Amino acid sequence: MSVPLLPLAALPPLLAALAFVAAPGRRPGRLPALAEGAVLAALFLALAGAVQVALGGPQPAGSGLLAGDRIAAILASLVAFIGWVVVRYTRRYLDGEAREGRFHGLLLAAVGTVLATVQAGSLALLVAGLAVTGLLVERLLRFYPERAEAVRAARKFRLAWRTSDALLLGVAGLFWVAFGTLDLAALREAAAGGLPPVAQAGVMLAALSALLRTAAFPVHGWLTEVMEAPTPVSALLHAGIINSGGVVLILLAPLVQASPAAMATLVLVGGFSALFGASVMLTQSAVKTALAWSTVAQMGFMLMQCGLGLWALALLHIVAHSLYKAHAFLASGGAVIEVRDRRRPGPVATPGPMAVTRAFAIALAVYAAAATASGLVLGPKSAQALAIGAILVFGIAYLVAQGLADAAPGALTRRTIAASVAATLAYFAFHALAESVAGPALPAPPVPSPLEWALLAVALLSFGAVAVAQALFPLWAHHPAAAGLRVHLANGLYVNALLDRLTGGLGTRTAA
Amino acid sequence: MLIAPDIAPAGTRAILAAAARAAAAIPPAFPLDATVAVNPFVGQAGEDLATAAARLARVGGVRPFLARAERRRQIAAGEIGEADLAEALAASPHPGKPADLAALRAALAADPAPAAALPTVAELLAQHTGTDWPALVARTFGLWAAGHFDRGQALWTPAPGLGAYAAWRAFATHDLTPEIFGLAGFCAHVAAAPDTPERAILRASERLGLSERAAETAFHRLLCDLGGWAQHARYLGWQAELAGNRDETLVELLAIRLVFEEALLAQGGEAVAAQWARVAAAHVAPVAPSADDILDAILQEAAERAFQRALASRLEAAAAARTGVPAAPPAPWMAAVFCIDVRSEPFRRALEGLDPGIETRGFAGFFGLPLAHREPGSTLADAHLPVLLTPGLSSRPALDAPTESRLFIAARARRAWGRFRQAAVSSFAFVEAAGVAYAGKLIAGSLGRRATAAPAPAPRPTVPLSADAKAETAAAVLGAMSWHGGWPPLVLLLGHGASVTNNPHESAYHCGACGGHTGEASARLLAALLNDPETRAGLAARGLAIPEGTLFVGGLHDTTTDRVTLFAEDSGAPERTDLARARDLLAEAGALARAERAPRLPGASAATLARRARDWAEVRPEWGLAGCAAFVAAPREATAGLALDGRAFLHCYDWSRDTGFGTLELILTAPVVVASWISLQYYGSSVAPDLFGSGNKLLHNVVGGIGVLEGNGGRLRAGLPWQAVHDGERLVHPPLRLSVLVEAPRDAILGVLARHPEVATLFDQGWLHLFALEGGRVAARYRPGGAWEAAGDAGLRTREGRTAAAA
Repeated sequence: MSVPLLPLAALPPLLAALAFVAAPGRRPGRLPALAEGAVLAALFLALAGAVQVALGGPQPAGSGLLAGDRIAAILASLVAFIGWVVVRYTRRYLDGEAREGRFHGLLLAAVGTVLATVQAGSLALLVAGLAVTGLLVERLLRFYPERAEAVRAARKFRLAWRTSDALLLGVAGLFWVAFGTLDLAALREAAAGGLPPVAQAGVMLAALSALLRTAAFPVHGWLTEVMEAPTPVSALLHAGIINSGGVVLILLAPLVQASPAAMATLVLVGGFSALFGASVMLTQSAVKTALAWSTVAQMGFMLMQCGLGLWALALLHIVAHSLYKAHAFLASGGAVIEVRDRRRPGPVATPGPMAVTRAFAIALAVYAAAATASGLVLGPKSAQALAIGAILVFGIAYLVAQGLADAAPGALTRRTIAASVAATLAYFAFHALAESVAGPALPAPPVPSPLEWALLAVALLSFGAVAVAQALFPLWAHHPAAAGLRVHLANGLYVNALLDRLTGGLGTRTAA
Repeated sequence: MLIAPDIAPAGTRAILAAAARAAAAIPPAFPLDATVAVNPFVGQAGEDLATAAARLARVGGVRPFLARAERRRQIAAGEIGEADLAEALAASPHPGKPADLAALRAALAADPAPAAALPTVAELLAQHTGTDWPALVARTFGLWAAGHFDRGQALWTPAPGLGAYAAWRAFATHDLTPEIFGLAGFCAHVAAAPDTPERAILRASERLGLSERAAETAFHRLLCDLGGWAQHARYLGWQAELAGNRDETLVELLAIRLVFEEALLAQGGEAVAAQWARVAAAHVAPVAPSADDILDAILQEAAERAFQRALASRLEAAAAARTGVPAAPPAPWMAAVFCIDVRSEPFRRALEGLDPGIETRGFAGFFGLPLAHREPGSTLADAHLPVLLTPGLSSRPALDAPTESRLFIAARARRAWGRFRQAAVSSFAFVEAAGVAYAGKLIAGSLGRRATAAPAPAPRPTVPLSADAKAETAAAVLGAMSWHGGWPPLVLLLGHGASVTNNPHESAYHCGACGGHTGEASARLLAALLNDPETRAGLAARGLAIPEGTLFVGGLHDTTTDRVTLFAEDSGAPERTDLARARDLLAEAGALARAERAPRLPGASAATLARRARDWAEVRPEWGLAGCAAFVAAPREATAGLALDGRAFLHCYDWSRDTGFGTLELILTAPVVVASWISLQYYGSSVAPDLFGSGNKLLHNVVGGIGVLEGNGGRLRAGLPWQAVHDGERLVHPPLRLSVLVEAPRDAILGVLARHPEVATLFDQGWLHLFALEGGRVAARYRPGGAWEAAGDAGLRTREGRTAAAA
């Protein structure tokens, strides 16, 4: 186990991508099998490398360009796993496409590039890796160049991604000026001594760059229209590429945390994006579109966790969301059956205000019990962690409320409560796991300042209000007074339309 | 309706009548949870292909023909012969057709101009302003329609209960998108629009300067612009008509689209108005086929004649071979009844080849039972019968109350968990609590692991049938099967269905005769009915004495894997040796059928076919009914042993036992029409995929639980996906209109057609070809108008054939 395997993980997909340069067309023989083999090799290297890191500690490589630490191991394993699933899916899915080989090549190159980028030990690699990733993804989004909508979507992606690249380049420049290094470990150490104003500016740019890449409000428009590329691209985008904003923040965690302004921005913009995306998602009747809005929401939630200093939880959220969203996209063809099965058991039982109140009380009790138990076992929780936990309570209460509806039979009530308890326990278990695996490599949440207390209060109130509204949803959603709200939300509050108008997005000339 | 058409002024009546005709020109699209093939030309059945092509070019911008270059290749390769061209040319009724074969060949050398639809106001304005107004209309209309027609996909759908036009106005008065893109005052325009769809249509027609004569194709043009949404609305109307009601959703959609046109015209100013006036004038011109339309229709006919010639000579040879083998086959020990679906043909042939003691028969896969079947754990009954009929018999699973209630609770708990995943705040908790578990689901999906569902419990009638009703139903079904005696000890009734994974078009692979469901419930129910002692007694009283030892067993033929599941335990009878032997032979036949099918499927081998059924990334699990080209209603002897390559519907029919020709009438009006819908759907999706296909599966985005969008949104896409007719390199479905071959007296056939003019039209306008068989040989070709042309004159008997027949 002398050779660190983690840094090698990116090589097989990148090399395999080259094989497709000579075979960009239809049915490139056995090369798709080779593609899957290459990503499987990457997965093996990433997992074996992760074991090495777990047993032997960080193993930096390439004169510090690659970090070789736990974060890198987790992210590389995730990317390699998603990469394997997506490349394997592509083997059958793209069979017979006129530019099948080209797709494989671009996909492998993207997987390899992301695999290297997430292991970055230096800002230089991060900047370069993300820029190259953007170029590859843009080509994947334009896989059907004859489709005007695809060209529009790819152009919007390019605009967002290149802006973010430029901002990140600015970050590197400012940090170089402030600290004279681009090495991430050195930068993280330097943050301990407080940030000079130049570095403060750098952190703000990094936060803005992350907001762009995670499709946070109001720059989410590029994400919600990229269903114009084959499904595996959507899966890769929503389970891999979109995480890069969060990865940058996590890699720079001590610096970001040293900037209260950046942290507050992340909480506010992230929290709003979470509620905004989740509300728009409710109104979307097309499966991939709804999933895209769900990603806006989930990434917003992750940014909020970053802004609260819950870095390990943010990392957990990235991992969990990637796995969930990759599956959701790849399996989206099952939506027809899913909707049919949803209609079959008859009307949904609607909980009244009393049932909702009881549900919140039950969820709170379950949470209090679990939190107390985990506090006794794992030590006290920070105020931020308790606040995020409270948001979990709001979610669980919705599940309980459905079982408490007057029309719900007792057996259904028991089942939903059992599911609620299981979800709560799983939530705590995963939090504990994330803290123990990634926590040591990441800063602890800051002691809340008055500003942070205020932000926590705003977050709890707004998430709580939306949760109550959601639980009582059937009572008001079809009221005429809500009709206009539904229309505006279904349109994503027109932010995207305005952006389109400003950038000439619906022009016939650009489309042609 | 505020303006009753019968008291309205003539101009008003004419415009509304044009709207109704435009609506009738749109084919219905059935929701994907139970979709069936629909003839996309169903609204053009009264005209021939060349005329329909001219119409569709004007309103849809498509040429519903195979590319000319491909025709030249077929002719050069001899796939279409000189005689085929000459006969097709002679058969063309159009005065503008090429004068002779030489002229035809000369015209063939050039490629036709691509079809261009007459522009909409949106398209004209886009040319002027550089803003893609058609895309904007598609986007905003699509967003509204997705919510309005949603059957439970989004958690927050619009308030139910409003008609389409009223619901759209409520939406569009709030939607700021058109104004953001520069359509000034659109919300106010909608708010001030007439309050009923009829008034909106009349006002818009006036403002757009559409005369009565221009209106029909102008309206049809706009409905085509709405794509699958219009077809879904036509489906709603179709269902309402079946139930004896009316539904005007499609006309309401037309009103909505016209309100857009009005606003866009007002925005466009003089230049657009002048251009639009010319378009409106062009809509007045009667629809007439161009020289290219006529030529391509002749070439289409020639390709069909080439196919018919080959089929006729093979039937001839088979008939000749039969006369040389006088030995009667042994009495069968087993009969297997399959659906007429073309996918049964290779399997039947394989099964018969294994054992001369096996007889197979073909019958519509719903086995004549007009079933509304409720699945376990469901409150909704699904119609398991052809969409032309209404259910008359309801059934449900045979389950005790506690089990049924457990299933309901499980289904509702799953739904509650699904809502927990979907809802606003809880989705965050869901991801953190359950997201990691999806690693397992990703592995399972990637490796094609799937939990095998327990077999469904046997279906039984919801209301027990009286002994008389049982016998009556059974006698009707046996009669329709032309089965009046000679039941062997074991009879398998095999429905069919396809196991596929993650495929929005799953139901398109199931049994069309069962309304897009599998045939399992129908087969099992009929088997139970025919095993019932009360039925047997009643049948005996009607002269249909089924031997006591005869056992009927329902089963399901999986058309992806060619495996057959038998539900022998339904009967409660002890295991029999012939059943075990049947299972072995079905397995062997399945292996033979897989070996025959695998080479046509890209990347498949006989050994990997089963894996395709479980592969979530498989876009071509099987070929469905691609290739279908012929329908044969005759005793099985006529086709026995002929390798028809899974291209023929085979319906058992013995006219000599059909007193009054009631069964013949049933065949020509039901299975033949359903088969024509299937054949023409494959035709339309192959030659006009932009209008009649659902596009690229790689971009499909399931919407509302009813259909798919291609990519981001906009138009719903109905019809077959491109991957269902094309293997990446070539069309797998040779687009041919169906050839129907019926072994029956010609006068009897003409008699049925005379009683059913809507069916006769399909033959007269060339949407179907009709042939009379005699002794399994093609005896005559039907000529439009009701005449017969003897096979020899029709060039359908080869010299060898005639010699053989004489010998």
